[in-house]
Amino acid sequence: MSRRVRMGVLAAGLLATAALFVTAFLDMPHFGGAWHPYGDRAVQASVNRRTANTVSAVNFDQRGFDTLGEESILFASVLGTVVLLRQARDERTRAPRPGPVPAALRRYGLVALPATLLIGLYVIAHGQLSPGGGFQGGVVVATALHLLYIAVDYPALERIRPLGLYEVGDAVGEAAYVVLGVAGLLAGSAYLANVLPFGTFNTLSSGGTVPLLNAAVGLEVASAVVVLLARFLVQALEIEGGDGGKEQAA
Amino acid sequence: MDRFLPLVVAVPLLGAALLVGAGRRMPRIVAESVGCLCAACTAGLALVLLARGTAVSWVGGWEPYHGHSVGIVLVGDRVGLGLAALTSLLVTAVLVYSWHYFDEPPRGHAGAYPALVLLFQAGMCGFAVTGDLFDAFVFFELMGVVGYALTGYRVEEARPVQGALAFGFVNSLGGYASLLGVGLLYARTGELGMAQVGRQLDAAPRRDALVVAAFVLVLTGFLVKAAAVPFHFWLPDAHAVAPTPVCMLLSGVMVELGVYGAARVHFTVFAGPGGVPAEDVRRLFLVLGVATALVGAAMCWQQRHVKRLLAFSTVSHTGLFLVGLAAGTAESVSGVCLYVLGHAGAKAALFASTGVLLDRHGSVDECELHGRGRDMRGVGVLFAVGAFALAGLPPFGTALGKALAEEHSPWLPVVFVLVSAVTGGAVLRVTAHVFLGAGQAPRTTQPETRGDEEPETEEPAWRLPRPMIAVAGLLLAGALAVGAVPALAEEVGAAARAFTDHAGYAAVVLDGRRGAAPPGPAAWWTPTGAGLGLLSAALATGLAALAVRRALPTGRWSAPLRRLHSGHVGDYVVWTAAGIGLLSALVLWPVG
Repeated sequence: MSRRVRMGVLAAGLLATAALFVTAFLDMPHFGGAWHPYGDRAVQASVNRRTANTVSAVNFDQRGFDTLGEESILFASVLGTVVLLRQARDERTRAPRPGPVPAALRRYGLVALPATLLIGLYVIAHGQLSPGGGFQGGVVVATALHLLYIAVDYPALERIRPLGLYEVGDAVGEAAYVVLGVAGLLAGSAYLANVLPFGTFNTLSSGGTVPLLNAAVGLEVASAVVVLLARFLVQALEIEGGDGGKEQAA
Repeated sequence: MDRFLPLVVAVPLLGAALLVGAGRRMPRIVAESVGCLCAACTAGLALVLLARGTAVSWVGGWEPYHGHSVGIVLVGDRVGLGLAALTSLLVTAVLVYSWHYFDEPPRGHAGAYPALVLLFQAGMCGFAVTGDLFDAFVFFELMGVVGYALTGYRVEEARPVQGALAFGFVNSLGGYASLLGVGLLYARTGELGMAQVGRQLDAAPRRDALVVAAFVLVLTGFLVKAAAVPFHFWLPDAHAVAPTPVCMLLSGVMVELGVYGAARVHFTVFAGPGGVPAEDVRRLFLVLGVATALVGAAMCWQQRHVKRLLAFSTVSHTGLFLVGLAAGTAESVSGVCLYVLGHAGAKAALFASTGVLLDRHGSVDECELHGRGRDMRGVGVLFAVGAFALAGLPPFGTALGKALAEEHSPWLPVVFVLVSAVTGGAVLRVTAHVFLGAGQAPRTTQPETRGDEEPETEEPAWRLPRPMIAVAGLLLAGALAVGAVPALAEEVGAAARAFTDHAGYAAVVLDGRRGAAPPGPAAWWTPTGAGLGLLSAALATGLAALAVRRALPTGRWSAPLRRLHSGHVGDYVVWTAAGIGLLSALVLWPVG
């Protein structure tokens, strides 16, 4: 297709899609209405199970099966990245050279790292109580470790980051979610049923299986993000391309 | 027993986690055995549940209260569970087929390939059994993510990465469209379950723009997966570069799941009084189906890269599935189901045989391989049998499915016979060139569809690899059994009657009503259907014979069509956007 034809077809397609959207939006319920059938039911169910954070109750209890799928998407993406960014036969590795780091950045990093790590773990642990949870906290934890790369250098990051261990953590987090689901079956109820005692509202141990599933996701996400970033860092810093496909494709 | 339904997703996920977690310390043979075992267990579970009839499972125990639930429902009706079983059996076959297939697994990740295949299985099984729109989107994305990674598996070359990128871009766009559509339905009804959304729409029928837009957008994603024209461009590019066992899964069942998704959402959500009028849906499926079938067949005939040729034949057969759905009756849907089953066996077997060729000769190019398959008679026979199965020779399942799907309009059999004859004839032509060395070696000047590929396997095998041949043979036997076992056709008929019953589905899911399947006429061979099957097989043979003798005009007429398949990702994205407009126009077309 010539550029002009391509743009013409694109314009026609986008115009039609826009028209479809605008007419559909005119038929939507109006903003600020009082009719929230799902929201009302979800909040009620969340309070019944003594989970203070309704979003977590939806994610890990009411629609926990979606979260299993979403966690698996991340798990599959990381595995796919490991496979696609593997060292090809015609590629060599070299040791990365350390670069100079300004002293102020170094001091900031050393202060920010433990604080960020703590915030990440707090966000995971309080997923059933306050906004946040395993997905958000996991990313914060993984980010904290990478402050070491910014503040010191790559070898320092490598020392606190035994990749094999994080790959196992990724798999354990995924497996733990699946197995916690089976626990519901073994207890005679449904898959992913919340079979633990619900505890006292607004305390760390409330919500039954919600904190456990939340922790499984936290472990999986933190490990997955570390492995994911590691693959890209290795590709950028250590691997020198052969004459293979990556450069042609780039 | 119903509560074990989520395990068809959980077992492969657990297997994948095990393979990734312990993969570093696992010898390759253990990793591949674990993969096969998990896939086979899931297949067994799906078959046991299927034998018991319909399984409904509210995950987390959130059964509906006054017809409403905050949870997710999995609905393993016969069609859903049948697809989960088909997926699992095919995954098992693929894992056996790819036993030691790749030269070396990624260093320290012996389990990576079987783990990806298991994740793919989990995504497809989840998509097949879910009764929830958002959950369907989640598993749609899981299938997609794994599909992109598996397509780009051979990173040493540039083209797999490009093919995977095209696949990724177009499918992600489709996914976003579906998600927007689900959002619109949620805004209107406050529900996400298919049965619940359907009931809410029917409770206050308002055929307005929102319902139409939701229908178009949700279907866009599924039709991208199904590779319907004009969303089909990613499919041949991905198939040409993906490892052969992955092609078996993509063509054998993933693309068909796109058709299933479109049909499922249509029948459960939009087929009632509050949905989209039947004649509009019929027009949509018919126009898209016929266009897809003809474009796929025309492009299929032009290819000499055998995997690309088979990919375009998948496109054209998907078109026929859509045409079959257009009628919307239980009989035509049962035809589509049988057709999908037979097609999965035949197409996977053809890809499996192509993998043997690639393994032996390091090429899948029809011209380069000319006469080089003379010493592989067994593979040649498999190829020829697969070609006749595609062409719809009775008693293959494909032929029975076609016979049931086409008898609804006087001119439909023409499309079915033509498309089957051209796609089957193209494969027969390849068989004659490669395995018989018939005719002269074709010219080698059309650069666009050349098929030189690096071999994917360990080293050129000097003996024919037995497991690969055995898998191909078994798959063809399966395709034959689909059309030859009356009990199976009867079951499929009952499955299709339940599948097309809009109110019945909601009653099963929400009211727990488990009546026996409504009785109906048993679908079986008719003299007309068998005759048309024989006719298309004969035409396919004739076309192949003419092509070998060079008695057919060259493909200059198709140059504009071939130019559209440019390999330019931007073009594909543009066509996807245009496709949304096309779907809206087809649904809203003013009638008479």
